[in-house]
Amino acid sequence: MSLKKIFPLLGAGALLFAFFLGIGPILNLLPEPISPNANLLRDGAIATVKLTAISGFLGFFIGLALALLHRADYRILRLFSNAVVSAVRGTPLLVQILFCYFALPVLLPFMTLNEFSAAAFALALNTGAYNSEVFRAGLNSVHKGQLEASRSLGLGRIQSFVFVLFPQALRFSLPPLMNNLISLLKDSSLASSIGMLELALAGSRISSESFKPVPVLTTVAVLYFALTSIMTLCAHWYERTQK
Amino acid sequence: MTPMIEAKNVHKYFGKDHILKGINLTVQRGEVVVIIGPSGSGKSTFIRTLNRLEAHSEGTITIDDIELKDGANLDAIRKEVGMVFQSFNLFPHLSVLENITLAPTKVKGLSKGAAEKLAMDLLTRVGIPGHANKRPAELSGGQQQRVAIARALAMQPKVMLFDEPTSSLDPEMVNEVLSVMKELALSGMTMVVVTHEMGFAREVADRVVFFDHGQILEQGPADDFFSNPKEERTRVFLGQVIRH
Ligand SMILES: Nc1ncnc2c1ncn2[C@@H]1O[C@H](COP(=O)(O)OP(=O)(O)OP(=O)(O)O)[C@@H](O)[C@H]1O
Ligand SMILES: [Mg+2]
Repeated sequence: MSLKKIFPLLGAGALLFAFFLGIGPILNLLPEPISPNANLLRDGAIATVKLTAISGFLGFFIGLALALLHRADYRILRLFSNAVVSAVRGTPLLVQILFCYFALPVLLPFMTLNEFSAAAFALALNTGAYNSEVFRAGLNSVHKGQLEASRSLGLGRIQSFVFVLFPQALRFSLPPLMNNLISLLKDSSLASSIGMLELALAGSRISSESFKPVPVLTTVAVLYFALTSIMTLCAHWYERTQK
Repeated sequence: MTPMIEAKNVHKYFGKDHILKGINLTVQRGEVVVIIGPSGSGKSTFIRTLNRLEAHSEGTITIDDIELKDGANLDAIRKEVGMVFQSFNLFPHLSVLENITLAPTKVKGLSKGAAEKLAMDLLTRVGIPGHANKRPAELSGGQQQRVAIARALAMQPKVMLFDEPTSSLDPEMVNEVLSVMKELALSGMTMVVVTHEMGFAREVADRVVFFDHGQILEQGPADDFFSNPKEERTRVFLGQVIRH
């Protein structure tokens, strides 16, 4: 792994660090009703990033697993993968979040989740289903001769996937995966529906308590915009390292 | 000594299409067999059954005394059979050196150092030692195909299969690849080569096999075959390719 390749990751880390370091002092400089609630907004932003990071991480692997099941030899596995993807794509995310929080514990008592876990679970599944389509396309775009060359060199199916197919598919997939991650960050605001305190819920509480929706919701929007911009910037850096 | 390759009554169907219709071909150890024939006659399909990139539908194929079937002996055979493709199929995300060392390290468990030493020796052998750290895309077609040959040789195969190795090359690069193959033939490698390069066939092949409509129509030692083809179809085909 060369420095050039991990630069986008380092850059993302540094920018996020700067964001959280700076957000408190900057919000404190702003007039009422922002400065008295600076801590709440900062905690909300941290929760949003945590939720996005965890469900994005899980969603990466869920997406990969669903894409692999879609290519499995057994029809039943392919059907399962298709069913999950269709169910997720065909229903609103809000309903999925509500379902994971309220309905899942009734159906499966061991799946009694707190707000954060329920939201993370629903978001991971949701983004995973969309990621699986990205991985499918990525794997399909690898020329079939690549697998033939790898197999004829004696590499097994799993080795061929790990060393030959996946790295090439990932390269095709990273830009759209990044777009999905940006959508995920914005969609995570729906976790407020089950009372999980993240950036949107923090904003909505402050706004209704202070009766000043304009400055409060503008601030919230700017914070979301800053976070998505950091991600977009890193995606650009990544694409430049590919040239 | 038993032959290196023994294909007996090999049939292949793609759905209802009967593509190989009873191929019998024996290749001795150290022999160089060139397969020629019109487009669509099943040359690629046959050579691909020899390392089971295509599974044959009927008949038996034995390589180095191991019968080609799915399962454990497939891995054993694939380690002994190297293949070179028309479209090179180098791994674009890996350097030239990594392309060559991948299989020896992952399949044979060679250390990185030993594999790199082997790779450098092979790159020297195919005449491009200076490009080890480049990506395949930075090389010319002829260089890429020579890397592909080195990559296959790194597994120290007993048989090398070539499916039209020079057909996608610019004319000025054909010879650099053919001369590597010539050297390989002289070193005693058993080779099966599908090609339209009649000069190569004449000079290097021990035997020429003519495919037509999924069957072997005619075969013989290279001199005989070219100077005195028996079948009318062979004469017509040779007339066409040699005039080109
Ligand atoms: N995977 C496949 N599925 C269906 N038909 C196939 C497949 N592969 C090859 N064929 C058919 O088998 C026949 C023989 O093809 P093959 O590629 O073996 O011919 P070839 O002699 O190598 O021709 P060329 O000189 O054009 O490479 C063709 O009619 C082709 O359409
Ligand atoms: Mg062919």
